Amino acid sequence: MLINTGIPTKEQVLSVFPPAERLEKGPVAVIECFQRIPCNPCQTACRRGAIKPFEDISDLPVIDGDKCNGCGLCVSMCPGLAIMVVDMSYSKDKALVKLPYEFAPLPKEGDTVTALDREGKPVCDAEVIKVLNTAAMDKTPVVSLAVDKEFIYGVRHFGSAGVPPAPYNEVSSQPDDISIICRCNDIDIKQLHDLIAQGFTSIDEIKRISRLGMGPCQGRNCVPLVLAELSCAMGKNVSEISPGTYRPVTRSVSLAAIAAYSESKETLNE
Amino acid sequence: MNKTADICVIGGGISGVAIGYFLLKNGAKNVLLLERGHLAYGATGRCGAGIRQQWGTELNCVISKYSLDFFETAQDELQYNGDIEFHQTGYMLLISNERELEQMKKNVALQNSLGIDSQLLTCEDARQIVPILNTDNLLGTAFCQKDGHLNPFHMTQAFADAFKRLGGEIMTYTDVTGITAANGRVTGITTNKGFIAAETVVNAAVGWAQEIAGIAGLDLPLFSERHNIMVTEPVEPILGPMIMSFSLNLYCQQTPHGSFLMGRTDDAQPRDLRMTSYSGFPELIAQSVVNVMPALKNLRVLRQWAGLYNVSPDNAAIYSAASDPKGFYTAAGFSGHGFMTSPATGQSMAEMILGLPPTLPWQRMDVSRFDSGELLLEPSVV
Repeated sequence: MLINTGIPTKEQVLSVFPPAERLEKGPVAVIECFQRIPCNPCQTACRRGAIKPFEDISDLPVIDGDKCNGCGLCVSMCPGLAIMVVDMSYSKDKALVKLPYEFAPLPKEGDTVTALDREGKPVCDAEVIKVLNTAAMDKTPVVSLAVDKEFIYGVRHFGSAGVPPAPYNEVSSQPDDISIICRCNDIDIKQLHDLIAQGFTSIDEIKRISRLGMGPCQGRNCVPLVLAELSCAMGKNVSEISPGTYRPVTRSVSLAAIAAYSESKETLNE
Repeated sequence: MNKTADICVIGGGISGVAIGYFLLKNGAKNVLLLERGHLAYGATGRCGAGIRQQWGTELNCVISKYSLDFFETAQDELQYNGDIEFHQTGYMLLISNERELEQMKKNVALQNSLGIDSQLLTCEDARQIVPILNTDNLLGTAFCQKDGHLNPFHMTQAFADAFKRLGGEIMTYTDVTGITAANGRVTGITTNKGFIAAETVVNAAVGWAQEIAGIAGLDLPLFSERHNIMVTEPVEPILGPMIMSFSLNLYCQQTPHGSFLMGRTDDAQPRDLRMTSYSGFPELIAQSVVNVMPALKNLRVLRQWAGLYNVSPDNAAIYSAASDPKGFYTAAGFSGHGFMTSPATGQSMAEMILGLPPTLPWQRMDVSRFDSGELLLEPSVV
């Protein structure tokens, strides 16, 4: 289930892909946004009006394939890294996939990397065609990969060639005791295992007793790790474990900004 | 799976685990506690984590002082492995107008007469304790150093662990579906996990207390209302006491962890047990807090949440034994301060159930006060 694992189903992915005719015509954005949260940077980033106007800030973005030219402005604006651009007109056999990539080190143009699917499993080798990392992109570089056309529905990420990452559900193999699970509140894996052994076996219970997930990331980084640990400890599939109350922060706002909200509303209305 | 218990407590929040603990401490045996979710799921796990003795009625002063004295030694008495985080950094109540000043003078005199060490402070003295306080529109403050902060999750766990150590049993994820009675006496509880035979049942469901009382055929004068809280990122300690104002409608404290917790009473909040967040709340509370402590303006907000106040007609708790069915007891109506008075709740309910002489004047908290008119009107609540 997407909310537990962060991995959409094939049906969900296909539902947001433009039709084949549109893909053939050239670059176009693909937005894999499935959760209604109050967030609209993609909509405001597009200068061509290709993302249909929102009636409510929690609306899911819908691409107008006729207006979108695949410029990629929205890719680095999405805080959830949910957008990529697919260009089937790149060459006869290859498509270009432009992916947001917030990892160090950045690859170099001409590198060969291992393209990964949405579960982190290798799909194929891919050549890095371009690496864009301007100030306007605010630390969300966009990397263009050339991949065989048949793989466009599978490729969503990449890793260094020859070093496949650990599959999601096996992350917990035998980490050492000081592996940090919750970076906001400095909770390591031994502390987490102790809590689980004491009977705190849901995200909400672990959160309340330890503050895990209560920090600035609001569970974005740690909750998937804890779900994997609970899954191992309880012999349950991750999709059977509740992720608890999920309150992701897009960007935290100051008290003063919130206090001034009604004033700004009044200004807007004038 | 059918079971038998001498006493069955419904509700795994602070009140339920405190009642369970004090029952066993006072000699009860075979006590079973039922919780629909996990411990501290409801009002306790969503509360503002403050402990204060600065009340406006004698009864509330007495039960809060009893409770605070207990919290001071709770870590040892309960032999808790964790840290209940009881930090006596004080409560500072802001005085904004003449009426509030008169009330605070009365309150402080009452509190002092009952052994509570509160005092009135000038604005200058208040700023010595809270340098970031904007005293421009204040006439002064009331202050009690012994009040403070307590971690609701750890305090609940501390009671629960001690309860289990004394032989109590806790069943979580257990839903009460019915309460059976025969000849005017409670005989047991039906749950999603089977029947539990018990002649004594304690309703400590608090937010859901009317629901449980309704199952037993009782109509209590209570409602549950949604209240909201917001929390910021943690920063270095800059605020000692809980800052509270009745006329400005706010409370705000920095937790030992460094985050700032803040809440207020919003108008027209739903009373249908909803615990979703209210979108009008952040703006209003942010304005109040930035006004009272401008230095906090650049703090970034992490989240808001909501929980239930279980409110009685006079904003004071109900400790009550039903006459029909006999054996059915209720502790509810805490009106937003059930966490800080939980030791008094536990001890009082234990005495009521076990027929022990009263340590605290809990007879006055019976639900019959709403018929007789002997109300316990509390003037000092947010």
